Amino acid sequence: MIESFGYVLAFLVAGTGFMALVLTLARFIRPNRPNDEKLSTYESGEAPVGNANVRFNPRFYLYALLFVLFEIELILLFPWAVVFGDKQLAAASENWKHFALFEMLIFIGILGLGLAYAWVKGYLEWEKPNIQAEDFKSPVPPKAYEKFN
Amino acid sequence: MTPVIALSLFGIINLFLGFTFKRQSLQVVTLLFIICSMALTAMDWNHEYLWFGDMMKTNNLSINFSLIIQLAGLLVVAFSNGFGKDEVYTQPAEYYAILLFSLVGALLMVSFQNLIMLFVGLEILSVAMYVLTGSDKRNLRSNEAALKYFLMGSFATGFLLFGIALVYGSTRSLYISGILYNLSHTAPESLPSFLYAGIILMGIGLLFKISAAPFHFWTPDVYEGAPTIFTMFMSTVVKTAGFAAIYHILDVTFGGFQKNWIITVYFITIITLILGNISAAYQQSAKRMLAFSSISHAGYMLLTVCANQPSTSSNILYYSLAYTLATAVSFAVLMVVAEYQTGRTEKPENFDALNGLAKNNPSLAFAFTVALLSLAGIPLTAGFWGKFFVFTDMFNKNLTYPIIIAVLMSAVGIYYYFKGIISVYFNSGEIEKIETSFLFKIALWSACIGTLVLGIYPTLLKSIF
Repeated sequence: MIESFGYVLAFLVAGTGFMALVLTLARFIRPNRPNDEKLSTYESGEAPVGNANVRFNPRFYLYALLFVLFEIELILLFPWAVVFGDKQLAAASENWKHFALFEMLIFIGILGLGLAYAWVKGYLEWEKPNIQAEDFKSPVPPKAYEKFN
Repeated sequence: MTPVIALSLFGIINLFLGFTFKRQSLQVVTLLFIICSMALTAMDWNHEYLWFGDMMKTNNLSINFSLIIQLAGLLVVAFSNGFGKDEVYTQPAEYYAILLFSLVGALLMVSFQNLIMLFVGLEILSVAMYVLTGSDKRNLRSNEAALKYFLMGSFATGFLLFGIALVYGSTRSLYISGILYNLSHTAPESLPSFLYAGIILMGIGLLFKISAAPFHFWTPDVYEGAPTIFTMFMSTVVKTAGFAAIYHILDVTFGGFQKNWIITVYFITIITLILGNISAAYQQSAKRMLAFSSISHAGYMLLTVCANQPSTSSNILYYSLAYTLATAVSFAVLMVVAEYQTGRTEKPENFDALNGLAKNNPSLAFAFTVALLSLAGIPLTAGFWGKFFVFTDMFNKNLTYPIIIAVLMSAVGIYYYFKGIISVYFNSGEIEKIETSFLFKIALWSACIGTLVLGIYPTLLKSIF
């Protein structure tokens, strides 16, 4: 019983060991010529601006919730598909296929109802912020800017 | 089995009915749903069967608990008044749906046969309660209460899970029957010592939910911050379901290991009684007083869990029923008075806000008095017999010292419950006639009459349990 956790321990040790080995090896093999560009944070090719701990817009929150919902659905669907396609299990009982299919349909149906609910409630609409135009009237004519630029 | 499926379906239906129905009709529909699932529950009477892969079990005890829980849900929905006049910020369809879903969680907690189902039921109930606690979105106190409840509640759930893991590690089964089988076929010396740690950790997780003393710090803040109607739900449904689970874990499953957990639970019981009652006596706010009173009632119910007599389950049932009826009525009266007093006084939930209620609202005052008398344990009310049965259990087990403390503490209880009665009847104040809806009146009177009938004929229900 407890011995089965040996696999977990072996997994942890092997994983840590492999990473340590590869990183140490790479340290000896690779050339080491740092510069400012290389040491900066990689941000999809953009120059990073400001702190990484920014506040996320609460509008993303609903999307995150819906995402988690369907993520969980997928996580359950994959093992279900493996069991569902098992020929031995299907041969063992006559109703097996119908039962398993129906069960998954109920599960997806409830999630679908959840999505429909969010849709009807209007949570899928992206709420645009109402930006008010500046009513500042500049004494400088626009032509002057064009000339300057 | 059927009520769990029915309540889940009703909850989903309720969500969609909210798009078309008016709020008053939603209330009636939800009442019908709960009555329907109560009927489905009662239909299983005297049928004992396992379901859902042998992970759940329906028997008469679980049916009784389910009925009390659904009765509490019924009272809460009837008292809710369709969530008032605030048309913009309240969402009754969602509230009712979440209430129904949390009832599903409570039903799982009273009929589990597998520790995983206990965990799932507890989580369904708790997550619904976190949401309902914070449902008054514009109220800062409600938000604070929801966050506190969520953080501390999820921490306590962690304790419960760790306990389940340790028990599984030492008994090689998550099924109650499997645990009992393995425990009886293993010599006590060869059991790993972390089994005992597991039992205590599971106990801590559950004792948190019923707000027993060292784990009670969230209770007053959460009960005060939450909207009163959901405080009523929290203090009745969660407590009943929690005690059903505690009884099942400590007395049924690990009753044979009583000597390993009994001292801890004794200690917790005695602190719960002392802290709950003494702090309640100091409160100015009636709502906060009721929160501390719910802590002290958890202490009384824990007494009978400690005694572990054959009559324990029926005593917990009787006490939960008496407590549910009385608490629902007292919160309901407090709710309508606080609604009336909002804007008129600084603190609408204080005892002072109740001053002079009896003058123009004799029926509300009478119901409030009966409820408080029942909570205090005065004869001719249900609360008296609840306490009486609990003390009898302790007496049969020869546990004199806890009884002495419990009796002393119920004397303290009389002081703070009578504070409410005095402000209703004897203090002078100006409260006009408060209009309540028809359903509210029916629920108020039936709960009141139930309290009195149970107090006069306790054998009426004792013969069924």
